[in-house]
Amino acid sequence: MRLVARFGLEEDKAIKVYSCFMKKDGEVVFEKESENFKSLSAKYPTAIWFERKIRDDFGIEFEGSFDNRPLYKHERFPKSIYPLKKEFQDSDIEYSKFEPYEYESIKGDGVFEVAVGPIHAGIIEPGHFQFSQEGESILHLEVRHFYKYRAIEKIVEGKKPLEAFRTIERISGNESLAYQKAYYKILLQASKKDENADIKRYNSLLLEIERLIHHLIDLGFIPNDAGFGAALSFCSQKSEELRRVLKEITGSRFGFGSIRGEAKKVDKERILNFLDNLKNDIEWFREWINDIPSLWDRLDTTGILKTKNALKYSCVGVVGRASGLKEDVRSRDDFYKEIGFVLQREKSGDVAARFKLRIKEALNSIEMMRKLIDYSDKKISFNGFSDGEYCAFVESSIGELFIFVKIKEGVIDRFYARDPSFISWQALHLMMSGNIIADFPLINKSCDLSYAGSDL
Amino acid sequence: MIRFWQKRFGEGLKTESLEFDRELEDIRKELKSIVKKRFASSLAIRMVDSGSCNACEAECSALSNPYYNLERLGIYFVASPRHADILLVSGVNTFNMQPHLLNAYEQLPAPKWVVTLGDCPIKKSFAIKGEIDKILPVSYHIKGCPPEPKDIIKGLLDFLRQI
Repeated sequence: MRLVARFGLEEDKAIKVYSCFMKKDGEVVFEKESENFKSLSAKYPTAIWFERKIRDDFGIEFEGSFDNRPLYKHERFPKSIYPLKKEFQDSDIEYSKFEPYEYESIKGDGVFEVAVGPIHAGIIEPGHFQFSQEGESILHLEVRHFYKYRAIEKIVEGKKPLEAFRTIERISGNESLAYQKAYYKILLQASKKDENADIKRYNSLLLEIERLIHHLIDLGFIPNDAGFGAALSFCSQKSEELRRVLKEITGSRFGFGSIRGEAKKVDKERILNFLDNLKNDIEWFREWINDIPSLWDRLDTTGILKTKNALKYSCVGVVGRASGLKEDVRSRDDFYKEIGFVLQREKSGDVAARFKLRIKEALNSIEMMRKLIDYSDKKISFNGFSDGEYCAFVESSIGELFIFVKIKEGVIDRFYARDPSFISWQALHLMMSGNIIADFPLINKSCDLSYAGSDL
Repeated sequence: MIRFWQKRFGEGLKTESLEFDRELEDIRKELKSIVKKRFASSLAIRMVDSGSCNACEAECSALSNPYYNLERLGIYFVASPRHADILLVSGVNTFNMQPHLLNAYEQLPAPKWVVTLGDCPIKKSFAIKGEIDKILPVSYHIKGCPPEPKDIIKGLLDFLRQI
């Protein structure tokens, strides 16, 4: 069983902890505890962040937990408040006394630490990386995030289901369509409606465009971080063209407000033509980039995540598949098989594997889009949502996105989203051993994880 | 490599003439004459994200793609606040980020300006400290959620006219 997520919720003034697992055949299992909470971190290392978050949210302790440091409560964040308890209704909090955070570090003769962030040298989101170094070699890395903690879970609480769309689609701009799709799936469950085939095709088309944009940007940025700027110029040009297509279809360059139970008309011929050209361009790009040995010198054997580690850390998405795992939400859906989805994998788990995987997935996305475009315009409306607990999975451009929503008395009582990045950030330090600090940007970019999505 | 150059010449120049490109000529002159003393004809921007959804950052990255090619105007994104003239702030000013944002502003050498980017609809929460203009002297705001690359260029030019 793979750990999907662990989160707390308050019910009749008592705190419960839900653990979501997935069996090998794709069956989802929920385990609900209401007392004697035990830490899962010995078996599932990624449980550590989940448990630290629950501790910050509700103030409960886990038996056998070996990491009791706060997660999103930073140095001056008041430690005595528990934001997700129902009794906490403050709209503003004050800075408290500075309490230093104890970083994981390796001590010894000649070992030193390098602190990077939260403000980085580039146009990038804020996050902190603490390295223990022995000369140029990285001995250990601790990832520390949650600078962007906006308390999305609390913002959404008490909202009517349809009102929450606007907030949820802006949790992470790069995965906006995946978040919309996951929430849309939940609304369908709550209103006991079946998914309309045309709208499903339209939504999946948008999702594949989003994935393709994300892959293209990375295909440019990975070589750029190894000093090969021409690839970035080429790929950023292609991703810009695709963003314009997305705007043409949805009216927004990021697809904001587009998955709402409506399939809009598109100029099919123009898009098919565009996809043909894009396919040729990506194939040309692959041949061109394969011919540059000095680039592959940097990509090969850099930042290896071994298959057994990926499995142990419950990795999903591009990071997991590049290390040989078969985790893809789309592979569990027959609809995707019909339109030509092929699960792509690489085995070596290094930067080169993630790079090659992105090219393969991009080409597969184009194949699927050619079939997905065949739909007619439709519109459905929601009327009334029944109370209950719902969850949904969607494969975003980063990996498996999990959303849980509890509706009570017609409003959202608890919202929880587990971004794929939340898992993969915790596995990032495993890719560091044997690498030098100058390769860190390359490794980080090859995973291209979201900060905003995991911070919430 | 030969294949690359064949493709390169086949593609031609991608940088677009935006509808306000004609204005650019005048502004370049303005840049040269008025701002020369302060900016030496080039403008360095430091971008700091304080809790956006990453769409604003994606659009700022898009400014350097061949379609917009911002550097042709002499406007650069730099790696450190200490190299910058302008602090470009996106996002909602989160509780955890505010001290670092103020710190970054401190590091900018004077004269310095703050430009904000984007209108986040996520506004009210205990972990959001409110509008940026409450804590920093904001000179200009670029609207949109997220503002498109050409809106950002237009906004920056508008801002340069004002100072």
